[in-house]
Amino acid sequence: MKRYADLMCATALGLVLWLGAVPEQAAAQGAGSSDAATEPEQEYVIGVLPPGGPPPRHPDGTVDFSGHWLPNGAGQGVSGRFGVDPAALGTFDPEVTPEEPPALQEWARERIAAMTPTELELSKSSVNCMPRGVPAIWLQNPYSTLMVHTPNLLAQLYEVLNNWRVVHLDGRPLPEYPEPLFHGNSTARWEGNTLVVESIGFDERTYILPNGWFHSDELRVIERYSRPSMNYLVVQITVDDPNVLEKQWISAPRRWTLGDGNVYEFYCTNNRELEELEELRRQELEAAP
Amino acid sequence: MAGARVLSIAVSIAVLIGLAIPAWSHHSFAAEFDAENCRDFTGSFTALDWQSPHAFFNVDVVEEDGTVSDWTFQTYALITLRRAGNGREVFMQNIGNEVWVRGCLARNGRERYAAAGRLRFASDGILRQMGQIQN
Repeated sequence: MKRYADLMCATALGLVLWLGAVPEQAAAQGAGSSDAATEPEQEYVIGVLPPGGPPPRHPDGTVDFSGHWLPNGAGQGVSGRFGVDPAALGTFDPEVTPEEPPALQEWARERIAAMTPTELELSKSSVNCMPRGVPAIWLQNPYSTLMVHTPNLLAQLYEVLNNWRVVHLDGRPLPEYPEPLFHGNSTARWEGNTLVVESIGFDERTYILPNGWFHSDELRVIERYSRPSMNYLVVQITVDDPNVLEKQWISAPRRWTLGDGNVYEFYCTNNRELEELEELRRQELEAAP
Repeated sequence: MAGARVLSIAVSIAVLIGLAIPAWSHHSFAAEFDAENCRDFTGSFTALDWQSPHAFFNVDVVEEDGTVSDWTFQTYALITLRRAGNGREVFMQNIGNEVWVRGCLARNGRERYAAAGRLRFASDGILRQMGQIQN
């Protein structure tokens, strides 16, 4: 337990040191124009976003998480672009903050292992134009999220599928008979500068990660939100599901960075992947011995 | 002593965190398209279907024997294209123009259907990423 506490402490301190060490000029917001993005010869046109000073706070002193957040370290889109500093990619570096795979119960592991690659792909929320849900929206979402945070509520406007969620911050208890919702039923509390959101009652059509990891109706999720600096949001997820997992799973602290506020419409109305993959599965089943 | 150990680990983490963070994706083009079966296409850019989740475009491809065939290419999500500086206007301005595409064929064998990896319009010569498979 002590070693774990030390490791968590070191990880947090390391993150703070890293944030503080990024030079101001190393990719200020707005770097990486469309021209730069299309020149593969130019190295690191898009770099790591600087910390940007202390986080904003509400009049009551609590941290304000409002902002337009992108799932990387650049504060702008990094997919499909040339010249992106590898350090600006992704929400965490598994070599720095390793994330254990979920300790699935044997029956769950076997169920996932029995899927073919095509079946696995067909299971994914993204392929089916289904809401990612909580916690997947923080774990398998390549698009941005706009957060509007007042002392009484945290509104999360997810770019993907134009989904949204409101978390009330008035300390209301979790319902005794929760509806199964894609984003769950939530209650929130502050632990220092960290906002802790605990949720139960999830729609069983969601997946935790895009690797087939499904959940039961006993799923309980804890989201820990912190904002170490103006430009950085850190979200850490705990998954507890006694029907599927042998022990709870804790994600790496995942960084999101402040974007330019441009959130785009995303109604999934022209999905051809499902049809194409179903045809592929039909062919695979036909060819199977 | 414990504090020194924590600080030591923290410094190591601070150094290591600057190293490469792998890109990941919520779903895989490689499940639907064959990364080992890719080719170059050249022809006239004829049409754009700009709807979420993914855009599609068409090219009248000139084959080696001189015949012309209509190919459909899937791209990244619209949001990804926009954020990379490849908005709808880039494509619309090139209707009728010559284009080169590197694309990978569909695993299900659908004819004249591929995932675009990279694209270059003759009009500006800019190499643009269009999809996950970049070989």
